[in-house]
Amino acid sequence: MRVLMFGWEFPPYQAGGLATATLGLVKGLLRQGLDVTLVVPFPAPAAGSTPIPELRLLSAADVPLRVRTHRIESPLAPYATAEDYVLLAERAAPAPGAHAAGSPYGRNLFEEIERYADAAAEIARREPHDVIDTHDWITFAAGIRAREVSGKPLVAHIHATELDRVGEHGNPEIVRRELAGLRAADRVIANSNTLRHQVIERYGVPADKVDVVHWGVDASAAPAEEPPELPLFDGRPTVLFLGRVTRQKGPEYFVEIAARVRRFVPGVRFLMVGAGDLLPRCIERAVELGLADCMHFAGPLSGAEVDRAYRAADVCVMPSVSEPFGLVALESLRNGTPVIVPRSSGVAEVVRHAFKADFWDVERMADQVVALLRHPELWAELADGARDEIAEPRFGLEEPARRTALSYRRTLADATAVAPAVAPAAPAAAPAPIARMETA
Amino acid sequence: MSPDVCIYCQVHQPYRVNRYRVFDVGSGREYFDEARNRAILRRVADKCYLPATRLLTEAVRRSGGRFKLALSLSGTVLEQLAAWAPDALDAFRELADAGAEILGETYYHSLAALTDPGEFATQAALHRDAIARIFGRRPTVFRNTELIYDDAIGPMVRRLGYRAMLVEGAERVLGWRSPNYVYEAASAPGLCLLPRNYRLSDDVGFRFSNRDWDGWPLTAERWAAWIAGSGGQSAHLFLDYETFGEHQWEETGIFEFLRHLPGELERHGLRCVTPSELAERAPVGRLSFPTPTSWADVERDTSAWLGNRMQRAAHERLYRIGREVRALADAARLAEWRRLTTSDHCYYMCTKWFADGDVHKYFNPYESPYDGFVAYMNVLSDLEAGLPAAAPWAGVEMAVSA
Repeated sequence: MRVLMFGWEFPPYQAGGLATATLGLVKGLLRQGLDVTLVVPFPAPAAGSTPIPELRLLSAADVPLRVRTHRIESPLAPYATAEDYVLLAERAAPAPGAHAAGSPYGRNLFEEIERYADAAAEIARREPHDVIDTHDWITFAAGIRAREVSGKPLVAHIHATELDRVGEHGNPEIVRRELAGLRAADRVIANSNTLRHQVIERYGVPADKVDVVHWGVDASAAPAEEPPELPLFDGRPTVLFLGRVTRQKGPEYFVEIAARVRRFVPGVRFLMVGAGDLLPRCIERAVELGLADCMHFAGPLSGAEVDRAYRAADVCVMPSVSEPFGLVALESLRNGTPVIVPRSSGVAEVVRHAFKADFWDVERMADQVVALLRHPELWAELADGARDEIAEPRFGLEEPARRTALSYRRTLADATAVAPAVAPAAPAAAPAPIARMETA
Repeated sequence: MSPDVCIYCQVHQPYRVNRYRVFDVGSGREYFDEARNRAILRRVADKCYLPATRLLTEAVRRSGGRFKLALSLSGTVLEQLAAWAPDALDAFRELADAGAEILGETYYHSLAALTDPGEFATQAALHRDAIARIFGRRPTVFRNTELIYDDAIGPMVRRLGYRAMLVEGAERVLGWRSPNYVYEAASAPGLCLLPRNYRLSDDVGFRFSNRDWDGWPLTAERWAAWIAGSGGQSAHLFLDYETFGEHQWEETGIFEFLRHLPGELERHGLRCVTPSELAERAPVGRLSFPTPTSWADVERDTSAWLGNRMQRAAHERLYRIGREVRALADAARLAEWRRLTTSDHCYYMCTKWFADGDVHKYFNPYESPYDGFVAYMNVLSDLEAGLPAAAPWAGVEMAVSA
């Protein structure tokens, strides 16, 4: 089976979990013997510099476009969300007008997406494929356009919705694009039961169209030895937050947890890894709570540095307001560090050896952190139990890939059973059941 | 020849601990979750204790005393019944008056026998006094918490004056021998051991409502036939009392089963005996238990309570504190500490639930064993904080000795 996959982030261009998830999925699919062509918006890296040599990587940036050849001056760096894009855009060219016109987002991102979709149509014409796969709203337009051209079935992976990222006051344009993609797709793959439910309830996707594939991690990718040079390995108890410093990930709750833990654990240190729009507020709040000497803001890390951060920590806390899956938990456990995960997350559906808590229950999470730092027996039971659990095949790359391939086959079977004709894409302005978001 | 039938049921409820947080230490917050304990007790009283006890009392009376059974009620359930379900306590009294035998155990349903012989003797004495007060009699047969037994426990129980004790009929102890006989404790001559026939017992306790089991649906007639064919001299059928109506809901037909049981036993020529009657019989052989056995889980050892590091850490800390608490001579503190010795607290920290899952999960008031450990350790921190900082417990005699 030949899969034409439209991605957005891919190592080394990476802002968040989407890159890790895409990489893991592609690796797994290749091991399943599928033929995967991954299309990315950034210029393809030189051969040999991608993490998977056997992957056919196409860059939309290299496609000469007949339809529209809008070259937009935009920072072609990775961005998981519109907010991040704005941050990057501002860094590239600080413009006070970036927040004008009622939208907090730059126009460039949407133009970039359109350009990517144009290229997608072109690529779909050239590249032989049996099924089209996409990842989140940012690539949905590309998938829809590709399907218009080739008539092959479209699969939409949903990793998180605008509702997860921003809450009820999401960007209506993003919501519109999510709706268009999810409804146009022949099959939707959600990464947790919670997200599946949301897609059905809030986005009106028929239940029989949505599969659940929980993500796994590549166990073989974990570094074997401890890096001794890192100053963090000095024996002080360390509590880690790792993720985008945005509302969705609950970094402010982490600061509140830190203030409480500190009262009970002398010498404790807190490490916040990641970047995002809430970083200044978190720093201010940490200072206000007297945590300046024990809270460290490391900024975004990548590759081996991320593993080091996990290993330096005694516990990784995820106070996410919304966490459809939560790959960070699996990465932490892979590095032997126990986790506190949001009760409503996808990872909480599948990992047993973890503390679970509501994101707002700061006291409970602080209590759990204090107990983990105080009682080596608790720490050892959690860490050992999780290490054994994470070694189970269901947390590897094969199982998610196998189930994804199953979804592809089901989609293909449905497509041939109905009609091979080119189905017109659903109108992009489909009625939104999430009216509240539209008016926000 | 059909064996005689010895039926015994365990009645127990713990005082479940509040979700105590580290912030609660020193705050004066109650250790025990009264609202939850009261609600659970009331529910179990209505679903199980009242209907089952009335049914059994009626059966004993109607049979003219030929249908017999034994019960053991922990001190913690007796206290809670007296406080929150006096109607159920009255029902138990009536059943005892009708002829049910009452056994002895540790008042707090604790693991003291494994760790602290002095405390074990004290709790056994407390229970004996409570039974005398409530039921007007002195038990002569002992059942230790969850049937936990090893060669070190036998002599302690014998010294307390008991003539017989219930044990688990584990294969690693019995070997080729049948559980359907009265044995003698190898380490305590004069103490009879009654090994539980776990297959027949678990047919009702665990498998009764399991539709995947080839024995389903289990009728009283069928069970009686199996007992009649199980050989030996006496089949020891030991169950949790909560089997009737709580573990096995009324809808499963468990009360119908119970209602027909006395008649079916009689129809199959099976005679009921009580543990104290069996204690009069000559043992057929001696049993040695080099390591502790219990009636829990497939392992039938103590791993359900002390199997992981959290459980052992909590258990050791509890008994370390105990020496200091007893030295305080503060009755209220001591009673609180003793409620914390109830084995259920350690059970909630069990991480084996992937294999023998359902049972643990069903009874666990915490979201996970880890949360159970955190709450319990926070309570111990609070208890410890109230102790004189440098209590010279090392030189203090145990408050009560055997």
